[in-house]
Amino acid sequence: MIRQMRETFAHDTWVMPYLRKYKWLLTLVLFLGSMTFLSAGALMFNSGYLISEAARRPGNIIYIYVPVVLARAFGIARPAFRYAERLTSHNWVLRIVSDFRKKLYQAVENKAMAIKQTHQTGDILSILAEDIDHIENLYLRTVFPMVIGWVLYLFIVIGVGVFNWAVALLLLILLGVIVMIMPMISVAVNGAREFKEKQIQHDFYTNLTDEVLGLSDWVISGRYDDFMDLQTKPIKQIAKLRREDHFFQWWRGFGVQVFFLLAVLTLLIWSGFQFTGSKAQANWIAAFALALFPIIEPFLEISQGASEWPIYQQSIRRVNDLSADPEVLTNQSDLKSDFAQLDVDHVTFHYEDDDRVILHDLSLHINTGEKLALLGPSGTGKSTLLKLLLGDERATSGQVTVNGQDIATLQNARASLFGVLDQQSYLFDTTVMNNVRLGNLNATDEQVKAAIKAVELEPLIQSLPNGYDTQVQESGARFSGGERQRLSLARILLQDAPIIILDEPTVSLDPITEKDLLDTVFSVLKDKTIIWVTHHLAGVDHVDQVRFLENGVFDMQGTPDALYQNEARFRRLYDLDRGK
Amino acid sequence: MIDSRLFKLPGIMGRAIVIAVLMFIQAIMVVIQARFLSQAVVNLWNLKPVGTIVTPTLIFIVSFLARHLLGVFQQRTFYPFVEKTSGKMRSDLMTKLFRLGPSVVEKAGTGSVVTMALEGIDKVQTYLMLIIIKMMDMSITPWIILIYIAFLQWKSALFLLVIYPVIILFMVILGLAAQSKADQQYAGYQHLSNNFVDTLRGLPTLKQLGLSKRYADNVYHVSEDYRKETMATLRVAMTSTFALDFFTTLSIAVVAVFLGFDLLDGNIALLPALTILTLAPDYFLPIRNFANDYHATLNGKNALQSVLDVLEMSEIDDRKALTDGQWRADSHLKFDDVSFTYDNMKTPTLKHLNFEVTGNTKVGIIGTSGSGKSTLINLIGGFLAPDEAGDMTLNGQSLPHLGQDAWQANQFYIPQNPYLFHDTLAKNVAFYVPSATRDAIEQACAKAGLTEWITSLPDGLDTMIGEGSRGVSGGQAQRIALARAFLDSSRRVLLFDEPTAHLDIETEAALKQDMLPLMDDHLVFFATHRLHWINQMDYVLVMEHGELVEQGTPSELSQHDGAYTRLRAEMGGAK
Ligand SMILES: Nc1ncnc2c1ncn2[C@@H]1O[C@H](COP(=O)(O)OP(=O)(O)OP(=O)(O)O)[C@@H](O)[C@H]1O
Ligand SMILES: Nc1ncnc2c1ncn2[C@@H]1O[C@H](COP(=O)(O)OP(=O)(O)OP(=O)(O)O)[C@@H](O)[C@H]1O
Ligand SMILES: [Mg+2]
Ligand SMILES: [Mg+2]
Repeated sequence: MIRQMRETFAHDTWVMPYLRKYKWLLTLVLFLGSMTFLSAGALMFNSGYLISEAARRPGNIIYIYVPVVLARAFGIARPAFRYAERLTSHNWVLRIVSDFRKKLYQAVENKAMAIKQTHQTGDILSILAEDIDHIENLYLRTVFPMVIGWVLYLFIVIGVGVFNWAVALLLLILLGVIVMIMPMISVAVNGAREFKEKQIQHDFYTNLTDEVLGLSDWVISGRYDDFMDLQTKPIKQIAKLRREDHFFQWWRGFGVQVFFLLAVLTLLIWSGFQFTGSKAQANWIAAFALALFPIIEPFLEISQGASEWPIYQQSIRRVNDLSADPEVLTNQSDLKSDFAQLDVDHVTFHYEDDDRVILHDLSLHINTGEKLALLGPSGTGKSTLLKLLLGDERATSGQVTVNGQDIATLQNARASLFGVLDQQSYLFDTTVMNNVRLGNLNATDEQVKAAIKAVELEPLIQSLPNGYDTQVQESGARFSGGERQRLSLARILLQDAPIIILDEPTVSLDPITEKDLLDTVFSVLKDKTIIWVTHHLAGVDHVDQVRFLENGVFDMQGTPDALYQNEARFRRLYDLDRGK
Repeated sequence: MIDSRLFKLPGIMGRAIVIAVLMFIQAIMVVIQARFLSQAVVNLWNLKPVGTIVTPTLIFIVSFLARHLLGVFQQRTFYPFVEKTSGKMRSDLMTKLFRLGPSVVEKAGTGSVVTMALEGIDKVQTYLMLIIIKMMDMSITPWIILIYIAFLQWKSALFLLVIYPVIILFMVILGLAAQSKADQQYAGYQHLSNNFVDTLRGLPTLKQLGLSKRYADNVYHVSEDYRKETMATLRVAMTSTFALDFFTTLSIAVVAVFLGFDLLDGNIALLPALTILTLAPDYFLPIRNFANDYHATLNGKNALQSVLDVLEMSEIDDRKALTDGQWRADSHLKFDDVSFTYDNMKTPTLKHLNFEVTGNTKVGIIGTSGSGKSTLINLIGGFLAPDEAGDMTLNGQSLPHLGQDAWQANQFYIPQNPYLFHDTLAKNVAFYVPSATRDAIEQACAKAGLTEWITSLPDGLDTMIGEGSRGVSGGQAQRIALARAFLDSSRRVLLFDEPTAHLDIETEAALKQDMLPLMDDHLVFFATHRLHWINQMDYVLVMEHGELVEQGTPSELSQHDGAYTRLRAEMGGAK
């Protein structure tokens, strides 16, 4: 177990640094926690003594004066300590949890482009909802109660040891079973179960998210039974594990009580021998017999805390894995001068996990202000080429440069270089205004409205009850396909970047809207460089160059006019597209 | 504190009674335990030999063990109920999700739906486990102890009795404050998960916009808001615990001091005094336990509420009204003045639609973006219900809506943005017909023009696709959805919402050759912007601003000057 612990924390950036950073605060929490229970024990101890002494009827109130005052003092101290401890520990834990969430996001962000291929949304959601919670509980349920329990344990054993070392030894063993042996048994017996339960829960998260995202297909397919089968299995498994887990916990709790009882009996019998020498001494018997009862609480928590350790361990591993080896961006620099040219220089590319070469020795040269249309059959690699241009993927061989600078070194300057509308452009669950403004956070309301007007959405938005403050809902569900696309496009129109990359910007639009929109786009962006992926030839007259990408190479290129004159295939496509 | 719907949960009352009985016996054990421990101590205090404490100690041991065993039994008795209830709630929630469909997700957000089904139900489970047992404990144990104390010394009992309502009062005041805070906190939690899912889904877009780094602060703020909400609730909950702790601990101290004075004056003997002192903490223990778990209870209660709220949402009912869901050559579908308004809108999105189709017809739906094509298709598919019932007639039967099981079982729908599941390519294609043979799947893929691509994949049809695995191109995603349609020939009604939007002209032309025979003996609704499809349609609906402005066969429509000819002109106009 110790070795496991060491492994877990060896490269840890999520737990240890915080322990180190806040060691004094943590010490304070532990101190307050220990004091809470010591005060509680002392209160009973003192009260037992108080009434025993009083029962001797000492004749003068002065004899019980000190215990009376002490009783009040302990009575106030206990809740005060407890309050302070809980406030401090929760406040601290919640604060670092906020940090964690941000950290989690940053870890994910670092892998932004690749993360879609390696993680599912539900996967990350479960890390957010569960793992981070677990790390929170690691402190509140495992670390704090355990340390406090041990402090009390030592205190009791040493306290009794002052009177009689043999009894102290017996208590050392009896309470030791509670604070050491039982937790270890818990980890051994129950740890695996809790671990497995969480594992299932994690998968459940991932799968359920996938199913919820694809819910409409489930509904339409009418595969109700299959859908329910997928859910019932983990539900049943979790229920079974949890039942066993609970049974174990209850009986373990009972076991703790048994050992606790033995400890109480030890104290009782011992005091029966130790303090029966004189009447004055006998007053201590009640004190010792009662003192232990309030201290059981932290003892009960220790074992549970321990058996949850494997869960925490896994959570810590998972968050650490996620943040491990972020993509390091080396030698980042800014673009030295204004954008002048973009070059694709003999680029060959295949995806890392796949040998199929998608681009073969491809070259392309674009000057500032030029407009290029990129066509090609579905799946040839148009979007892939765009990813290479942006530096989201690195060429297997060859280079993409802007003004001669490798694009890989310009990643920090990306947003000021490229405005991108890709095939999966996303609308966030906020207002129309906020969504469009994401294109340029400094844009005024007027500019945002102008962009919305340019994409012909002004009448629609104004007709909505909340106008520009209408919530678009997750992924823009509130709007029609074409409207969503136009909102994303409006975002790009606001963005002040020299190169605009459009991946099928008009795919869900009717011919009239499409034509109007293309006219607008090319006039609003007339000074910019545009790379435009399209599937049909409407509006192709707006561009200076057309490239056909097929089988990894450009197999037709030229101005639209020249192609129409010279290429039979181009003519045929043109006619097909016009519905002939 | 308690949602009254809690008591309507089946089986809860019977269990509660058993718990009450066990609790009662347990309380008696608590009294016995205190009494005989005190007896043993008093014997020693009187300097009697150790032998005299054997009997009381044994009784103490037995009652102590019995008390804790009873505790275990209470949990054991109650747990099956909790397990069953929360398990059932979870599967009910899933059923509900399936019945309500994507609309509930659109409203609530993916993150909150998922966390509700998982974390939420866990919280409910904790809540159920806590609330009943603790409430019972609170309403039985203290009184038995109090009655016994009253026998020993009515003065202490009176003091303990008087202090109890004060404590309860404090609890109530603080509880109310915590309640409203906790409501906010729960909303904050849902917001947090939604925000995170939303951010994750849009992360590539954020990156494109150069905002992804900066968005970390947004995540932090949302999280900080949640922290503040949580802390506010916790602070109130802790303050209430503190007040409670303070009063109870002080009360114990006061009782001890009172007893001390009474002993001093000889008004009471040590044995009853010590018994009272030992019992005093147990008297307060139930309420203290309750306060300690107060926060968890609030969370659980809120989770229970939101789960029950979803469960009580009204589904489209009368799903079985339709008797004849088959579509034959003489079948008939009629829209008679159908209007539709989205929940959050005041004006209807679809206005007074009238049309009829008979037999296997191919119906094209065209119109400008936002004119209501997808909404119309959703209405035909029965995923939305019209404003007024009875405007739709299918096979001569007037229906409140088309969300009829018999009708939906017979239709196939490719939405505008098909979703790919995290699964193998083969399973994705066979999503609608999970029993399809490998051959059939391969043929469907071939028709969808995917074969060449699939052979280039290392694992072929067994390649994992969807979120969290290999990326596919936009057009490939769409063709996978089409392959689903090719695979399933049994469904007679096809709803296509721009199925070829992401395809290039040549791929589309090739695909068209395979799609046309598929569409032949079916009822087809085909929304598209690619007007060359229109020539193959038997009938065309032209939408504009939610109205059906024109309808007829393609040749009829091209006869007169209207919306249709305008759209067509746009296509053929250039060059
Ligand atoms: N992450 C990835 N890993 C492996 N292969 C990929 C990945 N993303 C895309 N591909 C494959 O690379 C090829 C080119 O994809 P790309 O998205 O560039 O096509 P496209 O030309 O944009 O097509 P479309 O017009 O359909 O969008 C496709 O066969 C696709 O399946
Ligand atoms: N959930 C919703 N709530 C309110 N209004 C909506 C909702 N979904 C769509 N709308 C609105 O209803 C109108 C019709 O939308 P619909 O999706 O039917 O258009 P469409 O004809 O399919 O357009 P497109 O060609 O762009 O896909 C649009 O103006 C849209 O904004
Ligand atoms: Mg693409
Ligand atoms: Mg649509």
